[in-house]
Amino acid sequence: MKRYGFWHDALKYRTLLLMLLPGVLFFMLFAYIPMAGVVLAFKQYTYDGGIFGSPWNGLDNFRFFFDSGSAWQVTRNTALYNIAFIIVNNVLEIAMAIFLFEIAGRWFRRVFQTLLFLPYFISWVVVGAIAYNLFSFDYGTINAVLKGLGMEPVDIYNTAAYWPVLLVVVSAWKAVGYGSIMYLAAITGIDTEMYEAAEIDGANIWQRITRITIPNLYPTIIILVLLAIGNIFRGDFGMFYNMVGNNGLLFASTDVIDTFVFRSLISSNDIGMSSAAGFYQSVLGFITILLANYAVRSYDKDRALF
Amino acid sequence: MQREKRSAILLLALAFILSVILAACSSGNNNAAGTASAQPSESSAPSASSQPSDSNAVDTSEEVKLKMILLGGKPVDYDLVFGELNKLLKEKINATVEVEFLDWADWNQKYPLKFAANEQFDLVYTANWAYYNDQSLKGGFLELTEDMLQKYAPKTWAAMPAVSWDQAKVNGKLYMVPNNNVEVTNKVVLYREDLRQKYNLPEINSLESYANYLKTVAQNEKGITAYGAKAADGWKWHELDQATLEHNNDFKVIDTRVPLAIKLDDATGKVFNIYDTPEFKELLAYYKDLADNGVWSKNVVNNKNDVWQDMKAGKVSSYAQNLGTVAANLAEARRDTPDQQFAIADIAPNSKKLAAISTQNGMAIHATSANPERALMLIDLLQNDKEIHDLTMYGIAGSHYNPEGDDKYTAGPNAVNYPAGISNWGWNSELNRQDASYPQEANDIFDGWQSKIYHYPLETYVFDDSNVKSEVANIGNVIIRYGIPLEYGLIKDTDKGVADLIEQLKAAGIDKVQQEMQSQIDAFLANQ
Amino acid sequence: MSTQRTTRAGAGQTAGSAGRGRADKRLFQTIAYLLLSIVSLFCLIPFVLVLSASLTKESSIIENGYQLIPTLISTEAYSLLFKYPEQMLKAYGVTIGVTALGTAFGLFLTSMTAYVLARKDFKWRNGFSFFFFFTTLFSGGLVPWYLLIVNYLHLKDTFLILVLPLLFNVFYILVMKSFMSGIPEAIAESAKIDGAGDFLIYSRLIIPLSKPVLATIGLFIALGYWNDWYNAMLFISNDNLMPLQYYLYKMLGNMDGMRRAMIASGAVVNLQIPSESLKMAMTIVAIGPILFAYPFIQRFFVQGLTIGAVKG
Repeated sequence: MKRYGFWHDALKYRTLLLMLLPGVLFFMLFAYIPMAGVVLAFKQYTYDGGIFGSPWNGLDNFRFFFDSGSAWQVTRNTALYNIAFIIVNNVLEIAMAIFLFEIAGRWFRRVFQTLLFLPYFISWVVVGAIAYNLFSFDYGTINAVLKGLGMEPVDIYNTAAYWPVLLVVVSAWKAVGYGSIMYLAAITGIDTEMYEAAEIDGANIWQRITRITIPNLYPTIIILVLLAIGNIFRGDFGMFYNMVGNNGLLFASTDVIDTFVFRSLISSNDIGMSSAAGFYQSVLGFITILLANYAVRSYDKDRALF
Repeated sequence: MQREKRSAILLLALAFILSVILAACSSGNNNAAGTASAQPSESSAPSASSQPSDSNAVDTSEEVKLKMILLGGKPVDYDLVFGELNKLLKEKINATVEVEFLDWADWNQKYPLKFAANEQFDLVYTANWAYYNDQSLKGGFLELTEDMLQKYAPKTWAAMPAVSWDQAKVNGKLYMVPNNNVEVTNKVVLYREDLRQKYNLPEINSLESYANYLKTVAQNEKGITAYGAKAADGWKWHELDQATLEHNNDFKVIDTRVPLAIKLDDATGKVFNIYDTPEFKELLAYYKDLADNGVWSKNVVNNKNDVWQDMKAGKVSSYAQNLGTVAANLAEARRDTPDQQFAIADIAPNSKKLAAISTQNGMAIHATSANPERALMLIDLLQNDKEIHDLTMYGIAGSHYNPEGDDKYTAGPNAVNYPAGISNWGWNSELNRQDASYPQEANDIFDGWQSKIYHYPLETYVFDDSNVKSEVANIGNVIIRYGIPLEYGLIKDTDKGVADLIEQLKAAGIDKVQQEMQSQIDAFLANQ
Repeated sequence: MSTQRTTRAGAGQTAGSAGRGRADKRLFQTIAYLLLSIVSLFCLIPFVLVLSASLTKESSIIENGYQLIPTLISTEAYSLLFKYPEQMLKAYGVTIGVTALGTAFGLFLTSMTAYVLARKDFKWRNGFSFFFFFTTLFSGGLVPWYLLIVNYLHLKDTFLILVLPLLFNVFYILVMKSFMSGIPEAIAESAKIDGAGDFLIYSRLIIPLSKPVLATIGLFIALGYWNDWYNAMLFISNDNLMPLQYYLYKMLGNMDGMRRAMIASGAVVNLQIPSESLKMAMTIVAIGPILFAYPFIQRFFVQGLTIGAVKG
């Protein structure tokens, strides 16, 4: 049996392999071939040289990032924000999905679901503009209300401490409607007989949710969190840039790798340096996901990503 | 389990190797393709420069199609205007031109890709703010020799001042035909004349009188922000800095990405850090006073509103910008909001006036253009043939514009269909017409400046950042993070703020950049 | 559970009606309605601001900021957007075409790939999963991608380039794989004994059982196509192939970009465009059709499985 090895297996799985073929070819062509471009991170790009003919320049392209003195800070910010987003957004998404599933009115369910989805469609540019209208010190709505109540106005754009909370809230606001659909689908897929059996056993609704619904969501939670972890070192540029912009006073607590790199390279447009930053994020993400996947694997082999 | 793992790894390794091989193959093709298409230009360029000695006539017997890349949205009447242009070109140089427009929304992403993919095009808009130096150093443009210019662009060669050519050189080589437009870069302020009169304030012509105006407005006019800045744009060296610090002290920042300056009258060209001067500290005190008096919004660094629109709406009382722009604002306000009176003021009237560097706009030829001669001839016509210049700049007479004499125009009935903003500024020249509604006082100011234009030895020097790219990138970041909030008076302890800023700049490598720039300047001056 | 999997329409409904009248249920429902109402309100208000601003006169926005109810109504922004209605309709057409085609093919290919990876008896599934996942971590960046599409595949200015890049998404493949792993193996086993091939099991058994996740991923794929402007930005210069979002994006970006560039180049800046209200009107124009279609799509994942009753 063992001696047949690879070819024997290939024959055995021929249909499955054929079904995989479109995907494999697609990623070969559109992902792995252009991936050779990672070498640009180590090159001084010129037009006549192109990707492979340009001269090597060692780690020069990485210097702008690591010599800046901000490398650690922005890397830490990126990871911390993403961890917060993953936790808060997933918890809220699960909660919303359960609520949507449990409420009796079919019509209400649709209306709520539609309303929750609305923020997804509002682009970050528009969100940034609305935020400025709300938070602005002189004319913002929030301060108008506070002043109306005889309270001290708050200077949100000059106070770094507000921002981590603010950004987590905005991120959740935008993502939860979209994300809860995934969980709603998972709950819909749970066998109704389990609920009926629980009901007969006299379980109350809290017990039903904590003993049936949530355990049945574990596979979905694990996969979504694992997938998010691979991108933990990539900041949501659209969000950070449109919310914080070029406000240096807030950078200590709001600057992420992507915004930092954008600002650094805006006046030079250097291909090698932006490749270098991307490579750095990839390597960190790769290590993190390997560790996370290993952890999940040792807990339950079937739930791991690979 | 073990076996499974091993075969998975094997498979992956196989996949990776395959992809690398494939990529390597394709790269081989890439180079082959690159050289193949590069060949004709390499052979034609030298022949172009060697030809003049043999004969003076340019051979245009073969009809060619040229492709030009411009920035901006495609105008509605593009077909009409460029159809007309092609008739003229066919006749004059036996060529036609087709334009590809790179939208303002994304040109800076697509522009380098066009070069990287070596797409086929002949002419392209370029400018110092559109990465001219960088593209030149990367080999994107064809070098233009004197012989070529004399032979294929004789009118331009004759009309362009030598200093403009010199300013466009990168490491001693020329890669663009710059625009030929006398312009002064000095910044002025636009303010509300009616408010000044309401409070009986003296004429605005100095830092003090301007501060007086701003503070008075801030104190007495509720709901009006005295000074409008759009700092969220991320301009590091902004208009007010220029109007105050630079103009009043006759400093000149060499490259606006780094805070290094020279004194205009310093023949030795000694470079210094502008943030490390007593003059900057004075400026900060000036700014802090304005900030503390509520002259600008506390959230100025997040302001994304269009300042001029805010001014028109009566929410902002002043801003700084170049003369041409505020003059256009003035004309617009006189038409649309006659109840508000605006005026222009120069708050550094005794300063030396500086001519704009020629590379603010220009046209270049793609390094692999198949028809560089004809492309150059086209640039010559665009810039210096009255008929073609008028057509491409203003559209069709009687439809898009009405000519008023030789040098003025008014908007025609279809003006919106062939608008400005497609970077036809690349061939600005002395043939440009002026909008007839352009305010007279702006012209007066300009005429007054013309006589004061100051030429200094480093006028044609351009900083080459190739050795200090990382440092320049980091310095930009430090200025946004530590410099801009400090200038807008958002940091309570100014002295500590300056110390922080300088310390951070040092950490970012300002000393290295300064040394590099100084040695370039020394070499530049020694060569003159 | 494993062999007797029965799923019915409106699982929530069934549970709901059975539990009606019980105190804990009522309390929970009250809390759920309350929280959902509050959260929905927070989602609705900004949207109303956008809608209202899109209908407000530009000068009024500049003067008063965004308001829930417009003070000075103006449809200027919309008339500017629809200035060239045939362009706009064409853009809608391209987007609808791309979305329909892309979603159909994308969903088929995604689910087929996911099914293979979910098969526990397929020895190389982890290897292939990794092969796919790896591409989300490393990429060669823009330049090689652009070179590949333009110089080697010659897909510039083709309809295909709007569809191809979003056809597969690793995240969707892996999410779907995880859902499909939850389907009892016994179903496939029994079919196999009956002589069904792998493809038949996938298309006849697994697909019907995966309806909720198919609807969800289908929606996500469709939204991805609907909102994509990046590929069009890079590869489309032909006006006839311009999708809606790119058309809108260009309009706004051109104004902001032009203003900046004009200042940098020393050109005279003299533009009068209602950019604030325009920004808002664009949001409405882009969402409109989806909001109309959404309630119809919703039925798929609210109802869940209807015909999946398979007894082992």
